[in-house]
Amino acid sequence: MLSKKMALIIGVIVLITFNIIFLSATSKSYTSFGLGRVAISFVAPFQELFTRTIRFARGIWEHYFFLVAVSHENLQLKQSLNQAIETNSQWREVELANIRLRSLLNFQKTTTHRVLAAEVIGKDPSPWFKTVIIDKGKADGLHKGLPVVIAQGIAGQITETSDHYSKVMLIIDRNSAVDAVVQRTRARGVIKGDSTDLCQFDFVLQKHDVRIGDIVVASGFDGVYPKGLPIGWISDAGKREAEIFQEITVTPYVDFEKLEEVLIVLNPPGNDFTSEK
Amino acid sequence: MIYCFYVAMCLCLLILQTTVFPHLPLLDSFYDLLIPFIVYLALYRPLREGLLLVLFLGFIMDNISGGPFGLYLTTYCWLLIGVIGTTKFVQVGNRILLSMVVAAGVLIENMLFLAIFTITGPDVNLPAGAWSTVVIELLWALGTGPFFLIFFKYGHGRVDHLMDAMLARQR
Repeated sequence: MLSKKMALIIGVIVLITFNIIFLSATSKSYTSFGLGRVAISFVAPFQELFTRTIRFARGIWEHYFFLVAVSHENLQLKQSLNQAIETNSQWREVELANIRLRSLLNFQKTTTHRVLAAEVIGKDPSPWFKTVIIDKGKADGLHKGLPVVIAQGIAGQITETSDHYSKVMLIIDRNSAVDAVVQRTRARGVIKGDSTDLCQFDFVLQKHDVRIGDIVVASGFDGVYPKGLPIGWISDAGKREAEIFQEITVTPYVDFEKLEEVLIVLNPPGNDFTSEK
Repeated sequence: MIYCFYVAMCLCLLILQTTVFPHLPLLDSFYDLLIPFIVYLALYRPLREGLLLVLFLGFIMDNISGGPFGLYLTTYCWLLIGVIGTTKFVQVGNRILLSMVVAAGVLIENMLFLAIFTITGPDVNLPAGAWSTVVIELLWALGTGPFFLIFFKYGHGRVDHLMDAMLARQR
């Protein structure tokens, strides 16, 4: 009879042999015999849950730092962009101011009058009156009645001065009147404001030939505005049978909404205000 | 101190109205910002304070505007008196009524301006687009008037608080 010890050794050897044969057989083709599905079906949901949780946590962790870095980068880029926009805007402003000032300078060179440049610093608080405040006053030699112009044409007239500031009544104000002529036909009339962006060209006789597009210039007869300075162009003209005068609308050359710099003519042809002084 | 606050406030409103708003496309037809301020003075402050400020404001406005001198002074005085008189009979408590009061102030100012325009101006006709300007201003006033009043009241409260604290410290 085999001893217990001997039987244990034989059992171990058989088991090892069987194991080797089994492994040899299964290593050639993979099979789980149907149990794999059950195990997977059981374990996989938990695996999935944990994996996803870990991934989510890792994702948050990684993306948080990533986002912080991106956020920093974004902030820096935005700052750079803002600086670039600001610089660009400043350059653009300088460029535009340069264009305007060049235009004024050219006008200053070509005009025979003595002029002083001023900046518009405020507008009338009421929409019914068209005045602006400029940054030059009595200290700069300004006084009531001096004409205010820009390169494009006549802007208005000084109506009040303080030491360093003056009030300018624009030609579109209802109280403004400029003696003017049509450049082409020399038809004479008075340009009056309408408290809108347009002017009325009053007292032009029916007999005169006036057409849309004609240029209207200052006649110089009012003693305020220098002769020949452009005012605007005729944008509407009509004749009525019973009327003596024509109904004419003039669009000023000056864009009063964008009025920023002006020139004050210091030696106008001669005006009543000076003599009043 | 309180008068400093009033002056600073008026200055801010004035600058806003004459230098900032004209450059903003939607706000170029905004109403006179001093109207809600005068309404505020009439509703919540003693007559003495209101009258002094109205005279000051009217004077300043008449000087910077192209209108005939005294136009703003007249308008503001009438507005102050009108609002004080109205509140004797009508309780102006809620925001809707406050909107109405500010809008009425804007309407009164515009009517006075247009009346002066046609009476004293060179032309009896109203300017083109006058009514649309009035309507736009009224709409703005109805929409934003109470907020200005609330803002003024809040600002005044803060200044009062500051003054009380300063007085307490001095004691």
